[in-house]
Amino acid sequence: MIENFLAGSSALFGDPITILIFVFGVIGGMLFGAIPGVSMLTLAAILLPFSAGLEPAQGVMLFAVIYCTGTYGGAITAILFNIPGAPENAPTAFDGYPMTKQGRAGKAVGAAVLCSAIGGTASALLMMAATEPLAKWAIRNIGPPEIFALVFFGLAVASSVGGNTIWKGWMSVLLGLLVATIGQDPVGGINRYNFGMTDLAAGIAFVPAILGFFAVSEIFIQAEKRAFGKYNAPKLDVNFPTFLELWRYKIAVIRSILVGFFCGILPGIGATLAAFMGYGEAVRWSKNKEAFGKGNLEGVISSETANNAATGAAMIPLLALGLPGGALTAIMVAVFQFHDMEPGPLVFYNSPELIWVVFAAMFYANVSILFIGLIETKTILQLLRIPFHFLAPMILMLASIGSYIGRGLVLDVIVMFLAGMIGFLLRRSGYSIPGIVLGIILGKIGEQNFAQGMQMVHYDLVAYLSRPICALLILAGAITLGTGVYRALASNRTGANQNQ
Amino acid sequence: MGKLRSIHLIEALAWLIIAAVFFIYSFDFNQKIEIYKFGATAWPRSILLMLVLVIVGNLFYQKANGSEAQPGRVGITEDDIGEADKSVSSFLNIGSFLILPLIFAWSLKPVGFYAATPIFTALVILLLGERRPKWVLGITLFIYILIILLFMVVLNAPLPQGTVSPFYDFSAFMLRMNTQLQHLF
Repeated sequence: MIENFLAGSSALFGDPITILIFVFGVIGGMLFGAIPGVSMLTLAAILLPFSAGLEPAQGVMLFAVIYCTGTYGGAITAILFNIPGAPENAPTAFDGYPMTKQGRAGKAVGAAVLCSAIGGTASALLMMAATEPLAKWAIRNIGPPEIFALVFFGLAVASSVGGNTIWKGWMSVLLGLLVATIGQDPVGGINRYNFGMTDLAAGIAFVPAILGFFAVSEIFIQAEKRAFGKYNAPKLDVNFPTFLELWRYKIAVIRSILVGFFCGILPGIGATLAAFMGYGEAVRWSKNKEAFGKGNLEGVISSETANNAATGAAMIPLLALGLPGGALTAIMVAVFQFHDMEPGPLVFYNSPELIWVVFAAMFYANVSILFIGLIETKTILQLLRIPFHFLAPMILMLASIGSYIGRGLVLDVIVMFLAGMIGFLLRRSGYSIPGIVLGIILGKIGEQNFAQGMQMVHYDLVAYLSRPICALLILAGAITLGTGVYRALASNRTGANQNQ
Repeated sequence: MGKLRSIHLIEALAWLIIAAVFFIYSFDFNQKIEIYKFGATAWPRSILLMLVLVIVGNLFYQKANGSEAQPGRVGITEDDIGEADKSVSSFLNIGSFLILPLIFAWSLKPVGFYAATPIFTALVILLLGERRPKWVLGITLFIYILIILLFMVVLNAPLPQGTVSPFYDFSAFMLRMNTQLQHLF
């Protein structure tokens, strides 16, 4: 492994063009992740046509680096503006944004930098050591029933950490799942809910949905506060957390690395679920659950460690099985195809040098998050000085472009602003925006894997649940769901007693 | 009725209408899929059934607790404007702010990005309370130039050009300028 890593490193740093592409990927990913309104996906979508002119290793490496640094960059906007750069940064905003409002933005961003680097580097090392055995294990043990079970567990966790009540949490998730049914059904390709619009046959793209529900709705909320004279500019603070402060959360970091890596391995799940589950587990194991959502540093640490830990793991199904784990890894499949290659087990034998250049680049990208991230953060924090009425139109314009570029459809811009309006109304009423977005992202994956799983077991539920990993995840999801409902019913009883 | 208020009933009704619309439209694609016994409607209809159950659960919760958040929840919405002075002009302002982006999005096809952007940007700045003409104009120009430089000149991103003259002609002019600029380097 070490020999291969050194060979990959020398290939990476032995060619000036490859170095330039690497540096561009690191800075581009961080910047696009950290500019409110656009994300690493916007950059990836714009760069995709240009990648055809690069060497295969350079092309795949560029997107892998953007994936690592962009996942971290999205945390900055989540913390500073409550606008996650990508869905995987959504749980970061739960505690990161309250910290900004309390004048502790520097602590939150500093923790995000360090934990993203730790999570990503640990994941890159695990990826290098274990891609082949883990891929073999995943082939044997993970099938559609297990992926559906994990989606169910993830949605149960998401419904329990967002919204004012368990019911609103679930209504949010179910709304997301319902939106995900728009477009062709994943089994038979039948058009559903296109309401006579041909553009809707391709479904609701999740980038406009994310930008609408997070970025646009946040702008509307802040605009409303301005209109009613209740707007308070976020407080600027550039004090990073001390080593001792972070050392206290070592268990949370290790737990989130494991959760993130496990989620990342599973095809189609990716970093989003990892972040939610990392955050959910932090809440579950904490002695001070009440502090979460109010500016608890552990919330930022858990979410950011888990989502970056998933980036390395997400390369395992992509490279070993040819299955993308999220939107950016799906773009990487296109990069392979531009060069007449298919990601999958054969890549390890046909192009080992490509694999190790990518692995080495991801490792160095995660390490560079720590150094460049800390310098960049001091500058990015200055964004808080820009008055809201100048920043808001900029974010809206960037979000419009970010929505449009993915598929070249004006419909996506309309969807984004509609999502913004709906998100604004739902947030005012205590619903969970991350829950809706996770429902949209996981809806099709869940349905497809449920259908495939049912076909595999010939529609026999007992056979479905007799698969140990599947049964365990469904049980964990059911317990999470049941606990939430039990607490809500207990609140009903308490409320009813107080009314009498 | 407990703590149930009319707003809660309206909220439940809105959700039930959404569920009903999706259920009715599900008959449009109520077809069999040869390889999948449950067909194309099973998944959305299951979601709708769960949604109705959750709406009922929510109503029971609101009957007992009103709009109060459940204890121990994470990511609870804070009502920061609860005690604000809500004048008609404030509501008009926020209403316009909500509608304006939709008008901008709708206008992108006929008017195009290059012509619609500066107008939209200036209107957003005005609606957010900036009244100094120099600032409105300056910031609009700054944002416009920055976006054009980044997405048109550096990244060559394809943006909507519009279909109606003179907006289409303006977009064509901008793109010609960009081509000439690219030739310079």
